[in-house]
Amino acid sequence: MNRIYDTIEPNVIDQEMLQKAVEEQGPQEEAGQLAKREGIDFKDVTELQLDFRNILKIDNLWQFANLTKLQLDNNIIEKIEALDSLVHLVWLDLSFNNIETIEGLHALVKLQDLSLYNNRISKIENMDTLQELQIFSIGNNNLTSLENVVYLRKFSKLRTLNLTGNPLCDNEQYSMFIAAHLPDLVYLDFRLVDENTRELAEIKYQYAIDELKQGEAQALAKLEEEQAKQKELDYHKAAYVEYLNGPFLLESMYAEDAEANKLAYLPGMPDLLETYRNKFESVCEKLFAYGLEQYEKRQAEVSTFYKCLQEALAANQEQGRKIILEFENQNVGLLEVVQDMSSFDMAETKLAKYNNDITQLSDTLMTLEMQTVDQLEEIIKDFERNIADLVSTFIENVQGMMAQCRDLENHHHEKLLEISINTLEKIVKSEFEEEIPDDVRMLFVDKDTIVNAVNASHDIHLLKIDNREDDIITKANSWQAVVIEEVHKNEIARNRSRVKEINQYIDHLQEELDNLESLEPVE
Amino acid sequence: MEALRENEAEEKEEEKKAFKIGDELQDLEEKLSKIQVHIPNIHEFDWSSVDTSQLPASYKINSAKEKMMLHIAANFRRQYTHLCPDRKELFLHPLNECGVEKFVSTTVRPTLLPYPDLYNWDGCARFVSDYLTMEPLPNPIEPPSSLFSPTTILKYQRGNCFDFSMLLCSLLIGVGYDAYCVYGYATREICMMDETREVCPLLKKSKEAQKETVKEKTEKYAVKPPRDLRSKFELQQAAKKEAEIQVAKQKKQEEEEERIMEAEKPKPDSLYGLRVHAWVLVLSGKREVPESFFIDPFTAKSYSTTDGHFLGIEALWNHVNYWVNMQSCLNGCKDLIFDLGNPLRWEFMLLGADKPLLLLPNEEEEEELADEDLDNLDKEEEEKGSDMPPSWVDPIQISLKEFETRCPQGKKVIHYKKAKLEKWAPYLNSNGLVERLTVFEDQDCTKVLEVTQWFKNREDLLEMRQVNKITEVTTEYFGPGHALGLKAHVYKSMNPETERTMEFYNETRVDGLRKRVENAREMTEYFAGRSDFLYYRHTNFGKRTKRAQILVANPDANARPIMQIKECFHRNLEKPANEDVAERIFMISEERILLTYHLQENYITASKREFIKRADVDNKGNKIIMTPDMCLNYQVGSSQEDKKLIHLYKMMLKLMEEEKRLKHQVWESGTEVLEILKIREEEEGANKLTVSIYDTERNEKGKKQREAMERQMQEERQRQDEQDLDYLAPFIIQMGNIEKMTKWQALRLKEDCLTDFKYRLIDKANIIQLRFEKETQELQKKQQWYQQNQLSMTVEDEEAYIAYCSDAMFRIRILEMRLNRHKETAPQKYIALEEKLCKDPRLSEYLKLYA
Repeated sequence: MNRIYDTIEPNVIDQEMLQKAVEEQGPQEEAGQLAKREGIDFKDVTELQLDFRNILKIDNLWQFANLTKLQLDNNIIEKIEALDSLVHLVWLDLSFNNIETIEGLHALVKLQDLSLYNNRISKIENMDTLQELQIFSIGNNNLTSLENVVYLRKFSKLRTLNLTGNPLCDNEQYSMFIAAHLPDLVYLDFRLVDENTRELAEIKYQYAIDELKQGEAQALAKLEEEQAKQKELDYHKAAYVEYLNGPFLLESMYAEDAEANKLAYLPGMPDLLETYRNKFESVCEKLFAYGLEQYEKRQAEVSTFYKCLQEALAANQEQGRKIILEFENQNVGLLEVVQDMSSFDMAETKLAKYNNDITQLSDTLMTLEMQTVDQLEEIIKDFERNIADLVSTFIENVQGMMAQCRDLENHHHEKLLEISINTLEKIVKSEFEEEIPDDVRMLFVDKDTIVNAVNASHDIHLLKIDNREDDIITKANSWQAVVIEEVHKNEIARNRSRVKEINQYIDHLQEELDNLESLEPVE
Repeated sequence: MEALRENEAEEKEEEKKAFKIGDELQDLEEKLSKIQVHIPNIHEFDWSSVDTSQLPASYKINSAKEKMMLHIAANFRRQYTHLCPDRKELFLHPLNECGVEKFVSTTVRPTLLPYPDLYNWDGCARFVSDYLTMEPLPNPIEPPSSLFSPTTILKYQRGNCFDFSMLLCSLLIGVGYDAYCVYGYATREICMMDETREVCPLLKKSKEAQKETVKEKTEKYAVKPPRDLRSKFELQQAAKKEAEIQVAKQKKQEEEEERIMEAEKPKPDSLYGLRVHAWVLVLSGKREVPESFFIDPFTAKSYSTTDGHFLGIEALWNHVNYWVNMQSCLNGCKDLIFDLGNPLRWEFMLLGADKPLLLLPNEEEEEELADEDLDNLDKEEEEKGSDMPPSWVDPIQISLKEFETRCPQGKKVIHYKKAKLEKWAPYLNSNGLVERLTVFEDQDCTKVLEVTQWFKNREDLLEMRQVNKITEVTTEYFGPGHALGLKAHVYKSMNPETERTMEFYNETRVDGLRKRVENAREMTEYFAGRSDFLYYRHTNFGKRTKRAQILVANPDANARPIMQIKECFHRNLEKPANEDVAERIFMISEERILLTYHLQENYITASKREFIKRADVDNKGNKIIMTPDMCLNYQVGSSQEDKKLIHLYKMMLKLMEEEKRLKHQVWESGTEVLEILKIREEEEGANKLTVSIYDTERNEKGKKQREAMERQMQEERQRQDEQDLDYLAPFIIQMGNIEKMTKWQALRLKEDCLTDFKYRLIDKANIIQLRFEKETQELQKKQQWYQQNQLSMTVEDEEAYIAYCSDAMFRIRILEMRLNRHKETAPQKYIALEEKLCKDPRLSEYLKLYA
């Protein structure tokens, strides 16, 4: 086959080819005439057939954003590419090409039917995202390893598989192996997988399958666990108290503090550290619990507000709807009646009244909207105030608790300083008996060094605490700003769209009326 | 007539004294007297004719214990009359059907019947009131002189209030209620079972608990309503005026009501407070009865113990004791307290019997309850208060058929206020009618307002039919499972294209049709649970053109012309609101199609689209496919984003297709209505009833099958009998005619038979002997041959010979044994045959004489 293609000039997908294909495959007959007159937008096309065109490279298909079915069979394509924008694709036919590896399909998450028949593929791979896959045809390729088929276990919806003409089919275990490893498969190589084979295969490969299953189950469990953890962390983050329910803060304080680690060797330090750690942790826990509690409170506040807002809007919509329906019912068929009316004067008065009614309607609707805006403004103000209160209380309390942390740190620092001085004195007097590492001993050369070291450690700790506090406060404040802004933005958008709607509707009515009036003199 | 027959019978009796025709005559008389029973209003039932001959001994005599009891009762009565000389005689030991004095408590026969309907008090009471025919007391101010056993009452299906109460009490105690028979006084309405002043219970509308949706408490952020700018004073004045009008109206209404009440008031009763009645009291405590109440056995209604209809209590009893009321009944039963353990209020007759309820301080009550529970367990064995002799009455038995038939003759009529209720037993009426309620407009029941009929076991599953005589509207309700899922049918006439409403079981229909309302010019269909979200379709029809009327031959052409079809859809959340059609109107006559879309969130106007179908050819003769003015758009939201004409064209094509489909659908609906009407008419004509396959009585097919099976079994048995050989047959044939045998012949027959048998036995022995000899000879021969050739034999031959020998010896031994056994058994067999022959029905007569 390749010989034929060698002699023929390879083609490129260009505007002309696409235009022609679209026109050929687009609507026919009367609709076709219409279409021709108007032209067809590529983005309206849902099915495209580009077969037997000697295409070498897939390209220029990005305009077909709504394509669901694409046929590129019987070309000389060597690489799957440039398909990333066709996310709605359900059916992709790439059979009878020269493709060597499966790639470039990860964006096609809706794909259900994929045909790679008669290519040069030697490995099934890079298809992890195609979870919707139901039909997969990869016959007449270079697949050699049966184990590679196990990859298809990922696709829980896969029902039809075609593997004929691959080297692996010569393996005598072939059908048994497939039946055992893809239990949900219904058709293999255009044939129904019969129950008998499946049972036999299951027995034969029981151990292998069980092992596989176990591995899969474990992976799944792990994934779930991670997800749960991540979810909890996200929850904590939303409450701005992530990593405060344990010794994390303290650990982070010590992580970058080389001096503290050295100072830990001083006599009496382990006890001191222990008590410090406990106290600090309890404060952190308190802060953590408080953070979660406040978070729930804020969420409740927001949801109450939105619920009320929804109710108010629903009531408003109902009211507006009623007004419009009333108007429409009143004037139903009016225009036709007017058109058929014999007396011009009568018609004129009717029309005048109608015109008047339209103005009236416009006024009513606008008044309603104004009223709604007022009402909403009021509750939004309330909401704003409450949220501000909540956030400021939260910040105050956090600051209080952080101050406790700082106090603890100060206290600890004093103790540490005292011990250090004592130790220094002992060392100076050569009374210090205990073994300490050399680099620690290095600190105790004179008073300045040790005091500096202790102070440096203290500074680092305080800095960490300050950072954490700032972090919480900034986040809380920014949250407040975001929430309030969103509410305002929504309200403005709503108001705009409503006013626009009313205007549009009134215009529409007016237009109808004008049409009629313009007709009348002619008749 | 009766006399005539009697004469005839007597004549016959004289003629044929040998025959016991007298019994039959008695039977006839009995039957005739029974016939009279069914016309109770004309002929008083003669209780003296009750057949007592079949009753067991306990009905006719008193046991020693019972005598003792009567003695105690007499003593009690003496003391009572002495203590309360001005009170009425007690109802203690009336005569029973056999004329024997029986103490009332022993007449109560607690029985548990195997019907689940009779497990609750209301079921029991309804059964008793339905099953028996009410008879007034012979003397309305005195208790009856006799009290029959519940079994007799059940047998004759009639009785007075005492009989009713005794039966009901027996049933209630049987299912575990703490029930008592009450002898006291009641109003005329109760005593005479006069319910004409009561509203029929079926008409009492269940008071709809108008649950006002509790107003949600105003949320924190609820919007404030716009300020009310009207004058408060004016509003107040208006409210005042409104209130005044209301009051006036109410007053008027009350007056009217009073007037009606006045008119309906019964005439004063001269015997008020004297009329004797018996009813049932159920005390709280057992069977989770929360409060004591009365049951009137005639109507099966329950009353509170303070009800004004009951005017006093003399005494009450159950199967263990008898209590006399010592409380004042000046205020009717309102002030009575039913603590039977209190001797100041209730004078008991038997001491140790047990004290059902002693209203004492709470602490004791609890103890008592606990005790009672324990007692309950023991009581069964102890017969509860060993003083009271066991009931003399047989256990109450009601067959399933009787239970189902319910009312005497399966029919019962009750008159209520402005209503009449008739009841029938199932399967009694060929059309399955079981209940009919007729509502009248006036007190005298002359002008019918509405008739409601209830049916059961109908093949067409019709359950209820309501006919409003004023509007002439018939409403029929069907059970699930009717053809085409019909649930209800409201109509004035069965003619098609008239006003009617059909409701359907939409779950069972493919198209989810819930309701179809029709009249001459329009048809409305309501749907539920459809995948295309359609819930409403309205079709307007035009008048038939004359031309169409001519073409009657073709029914399709005769269809009413469709003017307009309107369809409404629920919101399909999968589509954006702007593309989800909410309503579409096909104006077929005007060649227009109107689409209205669903509302977008927070929008108050809906998108609209109007297609106008124009002539296909423009003035130049070109075919017009689609022009922008063929479609009028109003697109909400995004500014006039013009859809391409091609899309509109496609949409229009689709809609036109839909229009065609809809026209067909409407036509189909029309034919369906016709079909249903036809089916209904057929069913109404057929009047078929269904029989459950579990109903062994009525299931004809099952019965036939069962009978066939029985017949088959019997035939099988017969054949088996025949297969037992008739040893006499060959001899009888030899003798020829044996209709009348002489003694000699019989003897000869027997002799022949026996000799033949003897020969057969000897033959058999001979055959065995012959075989034996043959076998031995052969063996001997073989032995000789062996001895001769012993030397030249191979090992195989020798082995074969030995095997043969042992085989032959075995056979010989068997034959020998057989012969011996035959010799032993042959004489026995012979004797057995002789005996059998002697007993043979064909010979025995002659042979007996001979013997």
